[in-house]
Amino acid sequence: MGTDENNNKMTILVIEDDPVITEFLCTGLKYEGYEVTPKTAAKAGLDALQQATFDLIILDVMLPDIDGFEVCRHIRDRGSDIPILMLTVKKEISDRVKGLDSGADDYLTKPFCFDELLARIRALLRRSGKIRENKKLQAEAIVLDMETREVSRNGKRIDLTPTEFGLLELFMRHPHRVFTRETLLNRVLGYDYDGGTNIIDVHISHLRNKLGDRPPRLIRTIYAMGYAFYPEETGT
Amino acid sequence: MRAWEKLSLQARLGLLYAVLLIFSVVLVGCYSYWNIWQLFINNKSSHLRAQAKPIIEHWLIDNDLAKLDNPHLKLNPQNAFILARDLTSRDTVAIVLNRKGDIIANGKRLPEEPEAPIPDKRYFRRALSGENEVTYRGQVNGKPVLVMLIPLRPQPASSRIFGVIQMSTLLTDIKEILFRHGAMLVSLVAIILILGIVTGFWLIGVSLKDLQGLLTSCDRISKGDFSQRVPVKNRRDEIGQLAISFNRMMEKLEATFASQQRFVANVAHELMTPLTGLRGSLEVLLRGAQDDPSAMARLSKGMYKEVNRLIRLCEQLLGLSQLESSSNVHKQPIILSEFFNEFKADVQMLAGGRSLTIQQGPYVKVSADPDLLKQILLNLLSNALRYSPTETPVVISWKLLPEQVEIRVSDQGQGMDAETLSHIFEPFYQGKATVVSGDKGIGLGLSLAKSMVEAHEGTIRIESEPGKGTTVSFTLPLE
Ligand SMILES: Nc1ncnc2c1ncn2[C@@H]1O[C@H](COP(=O)(O)OP(=O)(O)O)[C@@H](O)[C@H]1O
Ligand SMILES: [Mg+2]
Repeated sequence: MGTDENNNKMTILVIEDDPVITEFLCTGLKYEGYEVTPKTAAKAGLDALQQATFDLIILDVMLPDIDGFEVCRHIRDRGSDIPILMLTVKKEISDRVKGLDSGADDYLTKPFCFDELLARIRALLRRSGKIRENKKLQAEAIVLDMETREVSRNGKRIDLTPTEFGLLELFMRHPHRVFTRETLLNRVLGYDYDGGTNIIDVHISHLRNKLGDRPPRLIRTIYAMGYAFYPEETGT
Repeated sequence: MRAWEKLSLQARLGLLYAVLLIFSVVLVGCYSYWNIWQLFINNKSSHLRAQAKPIIEHWLIDNDLAKLDNPHLKLNPQNAFILARDLTSRDTVAIVLNRKGDIIANGKRLPEEPEAPIPDKRYFRRALSGENEVTYRGQVNGKPVLVMLIPLRPQPASSRIFGVIQMSTLLTDIKEILFRHGAMLVSLVAIILILGIVTGFWLIGVSLKDLQGLLTSCDRISKGDFSQRVPVKNRRDEIGQLAISFNRMMEKLEATFASQQRFVANVAHELMTPLTGLRGSLEVLLRGAQDDPSAMARLSKGMYKEVNRLIRLCEQLLGLSQLESSSNVHKQPIILSEFFNEFKADVQMLAGGRSLTIQQGPYVKVSADPDLLKQILLNLLSNALRYSPTETPVVISWKLLPEQVEIRVSDQGQGMDAETLSHIFEPFYQGKATVVSGDKGIGLGLSLAKSMVEAHEGTIRIESEPGKGTTVSFTLPLE
């Protein structure tokens, strides 16, 4: 899969015993550009924590060997202030206070939304000063202001629809990554959009026109696959 | 009747009580009044008799009338008057009557002496026929008198009656005493009634107040507060007993309700884990992992596992709910050896390559539902296979007990400690045993097996030693 904008990747330790949950966490987080180390038990997780440094821990409450809260307290007792995101099941929601008491920074109730998980992770990393969220995305003299949602190229303002904005943002965040039409559809129009993928071609062609994107294009059509964004300096 | 039924219990009890109280107190009052009256009359008449007896005897002797053989037993006004006069006193007057009923002499002389009543023919005849001391009440000038008739005979028990003495005495003094007594009685009765009714109503109110407490508790319970208990004031009386059994019932209810809630919470919890896996995997796929075939393969395998887990959970839940009604248990005679011959073929697949031995026991016919029996065995077997190393054997055997048969499934795996053993039959309880082969369990297997065994009126027990192995035995009734 494609590389991300920043090369020093954030590292996440996932301590979760359910293999399927671990699998999707690893795959999903890697796709988002994090480096993930999965551990299926608390002891193994604590060992890993001593051998390497991580930027964040995702910790399940129900672990086979040691209770998640206990693990949390352990980590804090060692003097570490690494952000910890706990995963709980609703039944344990009254334990929320306990979780935060034991030193967890945030918690998420299963079954959670992956987008929400990502948002929480980003928030925790930002809070701990590990990343500085860029308010503006820049490439090829295109400037994307995430706050005002304004776009300009070479200082000239361009008006984009929300869908076009979403597509451009996705491309600029993940340069060189090839997105299939399905993925683009899911990411910008939602998972439950059930029209055909042709709509993506329409949006892309509008976007290209508005950007004045002529061959060799920034947003390229990859035959039989989809689209990818190639900023000039790394061109083919 | 309608109006009576419309009254509250308190009013009904109170009214009933008041009526009973009035009735009994008035009855007692009347009886005592009548009794005293009788006592006075008796007293008066015996007094009269005692007064008259010696006088009459003297008189008989003095007048030569006491001899039985005297042929001239006759009264003459002179001697009769003497007798009458002797028998008369300040409040008593005597008259003497001959056999025809004519007044021969009247003892009244002085004005302060009372008048004699006119003789009553009926009583007179009774006296004449020989009845001693006929007593009755009469009236003279509107005043009550007691009249006593004494037949005159020469000697006691002689049948030759030659006259009758009528003595009468005024009852005004008795009346007066009785009146005072009666007045006292009436006021006493009134006081008793008032006190009785007031305390009665109060007592009924107090007892019913406990019932009222019961009622408010019931009300709160119907609004969903199962922690309600009724205060028990007196553990001896019926309302106290009612409250005690009510509280006991509530305890049972609350416990059942709580365990039901716990069960539902556990089910939800058990559903959440596979659902989390499914949702997360799907989202990751949709966000783009679908573009990577290897990620796609890994995630879809995981999702397939989770879906199977959900199906297993649903099946077991269905199994549990089916057992709630005995109509879902279809018992039939089963010859164990035949059953196991068939079962072995089915189960060999589950065992994979592992050594599974079915030790044939004695010939027995049991009464059981074959499907349930199969499920019990499958649950126990999958545990034995899951928690014991692949190279160790798993053995099924059975032996005959009085009136039932005991079937055993034993393994030589990890075993369990006492702590695990004590919770083993709780739904969703899972011990620390690590899964050696096969899928991770849900924690319903043994509680399901227990319910199924109990649906056959059998019992299930587990012997286990950590590190040595586990034997689960259950009984089934013989045909
Ligand atoms: N044969 C066995 N050997 C060791 N442990 C067992 C055995 N059978 C059951 N257990 C323990 O009892 C627990 C409850 O069993 P069960 O109700 O069948 O649930 P499950 O097998 O789905 O976890 C298991 O989690 C396991 O720890
Ligand atoms: Mg089991």
